[in-house]
Amino acid sequence: MLAEAIAFYTLAFFLVFFAYRVITVPNPLHSALYLVLMMIGLAAAFFNLGAQFIAGVQLIVYAGAVMVLFVMVLMLFDLRSELRAFSRGLVSGALKVMSAALLAGIALGAANSSVAILQPPADGAVSADVTKQLGVLLYTKYLFAFEILGVLLLVVAVGVVAVSRMKGGTHGHH
Amino acid sequence: MGADVFEIGVNFVKLILVFLMMVQVVPLLVWVERRGSAYIQNRLGPNRVGPLGLMQLLADAVKFLTKEEFVPGRGYPFIYYAAPVVAMIPAALAFASLPLSVPVNVEAFEMLGRTWGPYIFKFQGYEIGIGIVFVLGVSSLAAYALLLAGYGSSNKYALYGALRASAQTISYELAMGLSIVGVILLFNTFSFAEIVTAQSAPLNFMFLGNKVEIAWLPNWGIFYQPLGAVILFAAMFAEANRLPFDLPEAEGELVAGYHTEYAGFKFNMFFIGEYGHMLVASGLMVIFFFGGYTFYPFFTPESVAGWFAGMSATKASLLTALVLHAVMLAKIVLFLWIFIWVRWTLPRFRYDQLMDLGWRTMLPWALANTILTAIVILIMRHPWGA
Amino acid sequence: MSQLLPVLVLAIFVITFGCVLLWFSSLISIRGKDDPVKDETYECGLPSENTGPTKISVKFYLTAILFILFDIEIIFMYPWAVTYGDFISGGHGLYVFGAMAFFLAVFVFGLFWEVKSKALEWE
Repeated sequence: MLAEAIAFYTLAFFLVFFAYRVITVPNPLHSALYLVLMMIGLAAAFFNLGAQFIAGVQLIVYAGAVMVLFVMVLMLFDLRSELRAFSRGLVSGALKVMSAALLAGIALGAANSSVAILQPPADGAVSADVTKQLGVLLYTKYLFAFEILGVLLLVVAVGVVAVSRMKGGTHGHH
Repeated sequence: MGADVFEIGVNFVKLILVFLMMVQVVPLLVWVERRGSAYIQNRLGPNRVGPLGLMQLLADAVKFLTKEEFVPGRGYPFIYYAAPVVAMIPAALAFASLPLSVPVNVEAFEMLGRTWGPYIFKFQGYEIGIGIVFVLGVSSLAAYALLLAGYGSSNKYALYGALRASAQTISYELAMGLSIVGVILLFNTFSFAEIVTAQSAPLNFMFLGNKVEIAWLPNWGIFYQPLGAVILFAAMFAEANRLPFDLPEAEGELVAGYHTEYAGFKFNMFFIGEYGHMLVASGLMVIFFFGGYTFYPFFTPESVAGWFAGMSATKASLLTALVLHAVMLAKIVLFLWIFIWVRWTLPRFRYDQLMDLGWRTMLPWALANTILTAIVILIMRHPWGA
Repeated sequence: MSQLLPVLVLAIFVITFGCVLLWFSSLISIRGKDDPVKDETYECGLPSENTGPTKISVKFYLTAILFILFDIEIIFMYPWAVTYGDFISGGHGLYVFGAMAFFLAVFVFGLFWEVKSKALEWE
């Protein structure tokens, strides 16, 4: 019980710290890299809470796909002007303070309500069954949402291609 | 990690051993690669330093360690140094979760004036309930090491290499993930241990309500998923950035790709990562399609345990595990050799061919494999509810 | 927690191992003379012209975004594959196959459309 609490709060501390760095680091690429660390930490937190499949999805989709895209895109831009714009100045300073305050508020609220989370499920060994239960629920009770999701993804895929076709881009040139 | 000092200690040593196994496989494979390529190309290869040129490995290590320390002037030193370290993590984490043999049962014993045990030690770094998803998730992080290397060294070639590498790894990850769906459909589990146990039996399946059994064939995944096996293996080549998929380091176009600015041990760490991926890929192939650490008619956990029936339970269990571990290693070595063999046989793809193969050939075939597997399983088990 | 701890321990060990090796090789490495040209980015011996942002084909972004979409669809097949046998044993084989058939049909259509629209073609 105590070990669980220590593990949870240590992970939570690192998560909040990485999230804080995401906002405060001036270089956008570095803040994307902190976001990657945060996503991995979030996967660890899910894992710690017994949601192993969700942890795997978090790793594969967010840390392994979405953030790869972010880092890839940021790497290719010349970020010097953005660096200047975001590293000093009254507005960006105020924005930083505000987001830090917001984050602190969220963290406090989360810490307050997370006490209930600390009643862990009876045994972590049933986690494989949890995944099966997830599958059963997904394909029975939430079947409609699941099918709609497939259509939604298709719409997004079509939209992406359409946007990349717009005139004025670098499409077609190497 | 364990209930008492002994269990925690053994589990910790196990973790380190698994990692060192991955690290020491690199010089050996480099040697095999040099001698093997020489053999394939009708040359001699390194044969001067020590017997069979084996001391060449030590000479290389010394050379790596004494190379001048260098950070490119425009680069970002922290990211530049972090990239090779990060390159080793995904392969190490994934390899530690593969079962390399049956668990070892240690009976209660006396030591230092108290009774210890009984214990069960898994023959792997750690067991994760959702093994397959874990390995996929961890190896999807491999793209970061390349991106960091490209960005940290601020070099055009490195940047292009990193970009190509990440676009390639993510493209082939789709075919890889999809070809594994067929395996999961077949065994209905995410756990490696359960998949291996299912294959340690004669070939058997349900056919329209009748049980069909072929006693002289093992129940290996390859007999049910030949297409899935081919797609997975090909995708693994691309994931490990090996020829014919080594576009990220195409020396004719990009000097050395993402590791252009790396020398000495930093360069070697990228190699530990690459060979680690090969090791994980071979391990996955063996576990999914070739029976893992079992070999049905000759080496099953039961039959091997029978050989050591006269001994004490702990000893018998340990010896059984070691014999089966040797079976697993033999199979892995075979696949590692195929990796090397292919590298020295096939030419490199062009970039458009590579992306074409990934998206327009392997992904549709993997999809077809999934659908076909689902339909066949549905038909074969026809009187549903049995 | 019991399953997460060894993973973290191994990750920390690998990082320590890497850092110690880097430190050790920097200790015993042979230092050459300092030279401003040596620190320059390697561009095949020419003075580097790293001015302005690099132009990169939009295909890389397109590939990455399409990858995310298809990756999510594939991830949704995992719980289905793992419960498929149980559904069949429970007598609902046709139901769960149909449930996935629609999803797969959308997937196949999407892939077919992407191929047809030449979005995946690199020249």
